[in-house]
Amino acid sequence: MSLLEIRNVSKIYGELKALDNVSIKVEQGEWVAIMGPSGSGKSTMMNIIGCMDKPSKGEVLLDGVDISKESSKKLTEIRRDKIGLIFQQFHMVNYLTAVENVMVSQYYHSMPDEEEALEALGRVGLRDRARHLPSQLSGGEQQRVCVARALINHPELILADEPTGNLDEANENIVLDLFAQLHKEGTTLIVVTHDPEVAEAAQRTIVLEHGRVAREIINENFGK
Amino acid sequence: MTKRKMFLRMITASLLRRRSRMLVALLSIGIGATILSGLVTIYYDVPRQMGAQFRNYGANMILVSQDTGTLNAQSASDALEVIGTDQVIGATPYRYVTAQFVRSQLSFVAAGTDFDQVQLTSPYFVVDGAYPSGPRQVLIGKQVAETVGAKLNSVLEITYKPSQKFVSGGEAVPGATLVGSAEGFNTNPVSVVLTLDDQMKIASMELDVSTQTEEYGGRLGDETYTKRFIGRAYPLEENDETDVLSGATITSRAVLEAISTAQVTDNATAVTGNTMSMQVAGILDTGGKEESYIFMSMDDMAALTGEKDLYDVMELSVSGTADELAGYVQTMEEKDLGVTARLVKRITNSETAVLSKLQALVFLVTAVVLVLTMICVSTTMMAVVTERRKEIGLRKALGASDDSIRVEFLGEGMFLGALGGVMGALLGFGFAQIVSVNVFESSITFQPLLLPITVVVSMVIAALSCLWPIKRAVQIDPALVLKGE
Repeated sequence: MSLLEIRNVSKIYGELKALDNVSIKVEQGEWVAIMGPSGSGKSTMMNIIGCMDKPSKGEVLLDGVDISKESSKKLTEIRRDKIGLIFQQFHMVNYLTAVENVMVSQYYHSMPDEEEALEALGRVGLRDRARHLPSQLSGGEQQRVCVARALINHPELILADEPTGNLDEANENIVLDLFAQLHKEGTTLIVVTHDPEVAEAAQRTIVLEHGRVAREIINENFGK
Repeated sequence: MTKRKMFLRMITASLLRRRSRMLVALLSIGIGATILSGLVTIYYDVPRQMGAQFRNYGANMILVSQDTGTLNAQSASDALEVIGTDQVIGATPYRYVTAQFVRSQLSFVAAGTDFDQVQLTSPYFVVDGAYPSGPRQVLIGKQVAETVGAKLNSVLEITYKPSQKFVSGGEAVPGATLVGSAEGFNTNPVSVVLTLDDQMKIASMELDVSTQTEEYGGRLGDETYTKRFIGRAYPLEENDETDVLSGATITSRAVLEAISTAQVTDNATAVTGNTMSMQVAGILDTGGKEESYIFMSMDDMAALTGEKDLYDVMELSVSGTADELAGYVQTMEEKDLGVTARLVKRITNSETAVLSKLQALVFLVTAVVLVLTMICVSTTMMAVVTERRKEIGLRKALGASDDSIRVEFLGEGMFLGALGGVMGALLGFGFAQIVSVNVFESSITFQPLLLPITVVVSMVIAALSCLWPIKRAVQIDPALVLKGE
């Protein structure tokens, strides 16, 4: 069974069809990039996969559960338990330290555990920056904190929205290396991006255009 | 780490690391709480403060004897015990008698009192000179001073004759002693002292005709003449010419007149009365009836009248509400102390009226401040929510339920409320103290209970003020954290 299966999903805002009969499958442990220009339906796709929006038509099966019919309360629970989110703008709570930001995720999920949070920061190479506020961290460091936060609850799926959009090349590579490492450990990754380089790092790229799947590209150089 | 610890850590971090924003919210709650607790303090302190002010208008309770006679010192002090020494601001006894100036023979009201207490119960008395501080000193009313031409340090000779008390009610009664005199021969006086038995018959009679001509009127001094009156009913029948002796017509007619005009005295020796020289220590200007009185100490009054520890009336200045005062009056009645207490209605009633109006005003202002504080806190929290939309979106994206968002904001709001409440309770006391000192010229005591009350009220106000902002926060869409929004 696929971890994520999107079946004939449409999302319609009035006259506009943001998604038009899209079907996608993502297998457990797969690293998939979703690419497309502005207005291609990337954001809508991201919202639906991230349990922050519901499709107008079609089914979305996440880990065997159809999330297209759930209440927003239930969606919040599913998002909390199964998905780790990474954003373009990093989005840290600006008055909490790096480790506290990681712990916020634990707090909503189960129990805050500072040791575990510090370990997660260690994985992204920021253990020594744990007590710093976001304003004291560089953009790359902030995004690495966000990666640590996304993986702290061991989610089934890590959903990253333009994760390198605000980063320089060096930091972009650090983040992509982290993704590669997570992939090796068996984490399923979906990365939404318009950057071909980021897309190329994935195993497979799904290209959206005008709300439809235009094509799928298998990265033959993956892992080389 | 427990969830609660993390919760507190997040809230304190939010408050401490976002100081400027939180300071505004804290200030609005704190200032609101300050004014509230200050006003509440004043609200409860106003009766005491105003009570003290009203005491400047004079006594608000009067004690008199239950049976129209005089009040003795013991029953007066029993009555004061009912009220309690803390509540009695002043208790001034008065003993009134009619006395005379020796030189001019003018009558006036002499009042014995306690000058220390007078200054407490009648603070409005204006004294030119000083209150008497030693024996044989008097405070005389302005009117009296004008009538007799007395000035400060003048010496007045005054006399008191107890018999004068009986002049108006001087009718003969069974068992009374009567004293009478009339002009006899050559206008020389004859005098007579009669005693009556319980049937109003003359029991004894002493006749002084020593001023009369020995061989005529003087003859009446022997017992054969006075004997004829013994056993006869008093007063004698009029025009009984058998009592007029020939050869002593003028004298015997004078004796008859002396008998018929004789007046009652309880004590023949007191007829002489006491005469004292008193120095004027001060002249009293009140605009009232006191201006026609002469005031002296109770010791001097006792020396003048020979009667100690008797009062006609006691004026009390008592702090308390009209209801409390009425309660004292009732207790005294129930205890049957032999005194009747009366409230000076024009004082107690106007005090109650002014107090209730003042309290209503403070109450109204408090209510307005309450609403303003809520608007202020609500606006600030609203700004906080707007400013933190992204953070709220992020928290929701990370899996925060609507309830967690509510609890977090309510927690922050109530934490601010508690902090503002403590600040408000302390500053409010200062505020009330300043108002009290400037307006009422007296300080107030800190009410410890007001601290927890202010904190709780502030927390409730903060919580209520947060309701609408929280509603807005919960509606924030987690998807807003996606993309570069």
